[in-house]
Formats: sequence, C-alpha cells, structure tokens
Amino acid sequence: MSTKVQVTRPTKIELARLKRRLKLATRIQKIVKDRLSILIMEFLQTVKECTSVKEKLLVDFREAYKALSVTTGYHGYAFLEKELLASEMALKINSFTRNVAGVKIPVFEMEDTGTSSARNTLDTSSLVDNSAKLSRECLKTAIELAELQNSLNLLGAEINKVKRVNNALEYIVIPGLDATIKYLTMKFEERDREEVARLKYVKLLIEQREAYAY
Amino acid sequence: MRIDPREPNRTFEANLKGDLKTLNAHLPRRRKSLSELLEEKCPHVECGDGSTHYFKKKELEYLTEILNNKEKQMLLLPIIIEVRSDEGNLTIRSKTGAEAKIFSKILDMPIACKLDVITIFRPQLTVLRKVLKTTTQYAFTI
Repeated sequence: MSTKVQVTRPTKIELARLKRRLKLATRIQKIVKDRLSILIMEFLQTVKECTSVKEKLLVDFREAYKALSVTTGYHGYAFLEKELLASEMALKINSFTRNVAGVKIPVFEMEDTGTSSARNTLDTSSLVDNSAKLSRECLKTAIELAELQNSLNLLGAEINKVKRVNNALEYIVIPGLDATIKYLTMKFEERDREEVARLKYVKLLIEQREAYAY
Repeated sequence: MRIDPREPNRTFEANLKGDLKTLNAHLPRRRKSLSELLEEKCPHVECGDGSTHYFKKKELEYLTEILNNKEKQMLLLPIIIEVRSDEGNLTIRSKTGAEAKIFSKILDMPIACKLDVITIFRPQLTVLRKVLKTTTQYAFTI
C-alpha cells in the first residue's frame, strides 16, 4: 500500500512534532491491540458458552415435553388445563448491565418472587410437579441463552469497531507518519548537504578573490 | 464527528483521544467490599462514566464460600485485572491476599502474591473470567 506524505511546513519543529505523534500512535496501537485481544477472547468464550447452553436448552425442552406428554396421558387435557390455570406464578426477571472492556453487556437474573403455585398438591400426582419443575429449568436456561446471545451481538459489533481503529493505525496513520518523518529527514539532510556545498563554493570564491587581489 | 478532508489525521487523532478517554471509563469510582455488597439488594458499583456495574449474586455467594469473615470485609470488588501493553502477563494488585486465595481455588493451583502483585497468564484469565464474570474488570495501562 502506498503511503501518503503529509507535510504542512518542512521545519525542524514539525519533525519533532511528528516524531512525538508517531510515538503516541504506536503506544495507542499497543493498547488498542490489547483491547482487541481481550474482546476476542471474551467473544470466543461467550460463543463456547452459548453453544453449551443451546445444547442444554434442547435437552431441557426434550425432557420437559416428555414429562408433559406423560402427565397429559395420565391426567388428561381437561385436568391439566385446570391445573395450569391454577398454577400461574408471578415471574420477575431483573435486567442489569456489566462492563467488559468498555462494552456494556446486559445481565438477566430470574428472581424468586416467593409466591408459590396455587396448585392443590393433594389432587395431583408427582408427574405434574415434575413437569412444572422441568419447565422452570427450561425458562432459566432460555434466560441464560438470551443474555449470552445479546453479549455476542454487542461484543461482535465492538470487535469490528476496534478492528477498524487498529487497521487505520497500523496501515494508514503509522506508515503515513513514518513516511513523512523519513521525507523530512531526507529533506533536512539534503538541505545540509546543499549548505555545505554552498559554503565550500563561497569559500572558494573568497579565496579566488583574495588571490586576484594580491 | 465531522471529518475535515484537509486534515484527516488530525481528525482521526481527536477521535482516538476520545476513545482513549473512554477506554478506562468503565472502572469503578469506588470499590465496595464483599460484605458491603452482600447486604445490598442489587449489588452494584458506580463507574467512572456514570454507568452502573452490577454483580451477579451467584458469584458473590461463590466468593463467600471461599473467604472467611475478615477476608470478606477486606476484599474489594470488582477485582481489577491490569492489562499492560508492554508485557504479555496480566497483573492484579492485592493488598490483603484474598484475591490470591480466590484465584488459587478457581485455578486449582498455588498463586503467589509478590509485593502485593499477582501475575497471571492469558490462558488462566479465560478460566478466571468464566467463573468471575461480573466480579472482575479490565484496566488498560501503558
């Protein structure tokens, strides 16, 4: 990739300023790279967790449906529907945020409201209790998955953003500053050489003039 | 932010400075002790940017199982993991040694705390973050 030299004034002050900027840009790039590596690590970890939670959710659903079908077979639809109406419970999910390297990630937590189901345990069998328990497990896993999926989206977007900054620094800003510093250094060297040649020529002229004077 | 086509580098730098300012803005203004957080209904700390960082109760309960009462009062949360750009390792400042106890329990290996500093490696960080998601935070330093 060709680098663009940007010089406003070819002066020593400008060169010093550019060197300072290059030093700063290099340090910033190191930090940005660190942040990127941390974000990628978090992203990969979240992907792993997400996969395992998805698998768990599938297993939980399978178990819950199995239990529900057994319960339905034992008690019948009408009875189960009546029980379901009676067993309505208040559900409270708290949503917070946590911060991962500057990215705000949501946290969902299911709170136990303390209200127990109004189901009459004397009339029903343990099959209904088992179905209810498994359904609750499914819900917990689904909430966990929602949190992880959200985290994945947010982390992915931030990784893209940080990557762009890192690439801009690595391929545009730092090479540009490098090229400008090199250009200025060469220009000053050339100017010095010209100065030396000019001084030598002036010295020669003076010597010649002095020789003619005698 | 408007990009000035005449000076793209300067605009980019200004943008970058803003990014750097917000890089460590998520760090807490004041850390709280574990015992203090356990008493709160919604355990949280205020961050430098004004946002709130919440702790999962499960994690706090896990830490409670590991530490004794004195350590619970001494341990300040969130635990700050310093990511230094000049080193590959990560450092954690620990004055009480409670952090070392937690890490050695999670990593299942002895962790040394030399001159109030615990050094861990990147593969260990993955294991730690898996367990302590909300009770640890990153700080980027040069």
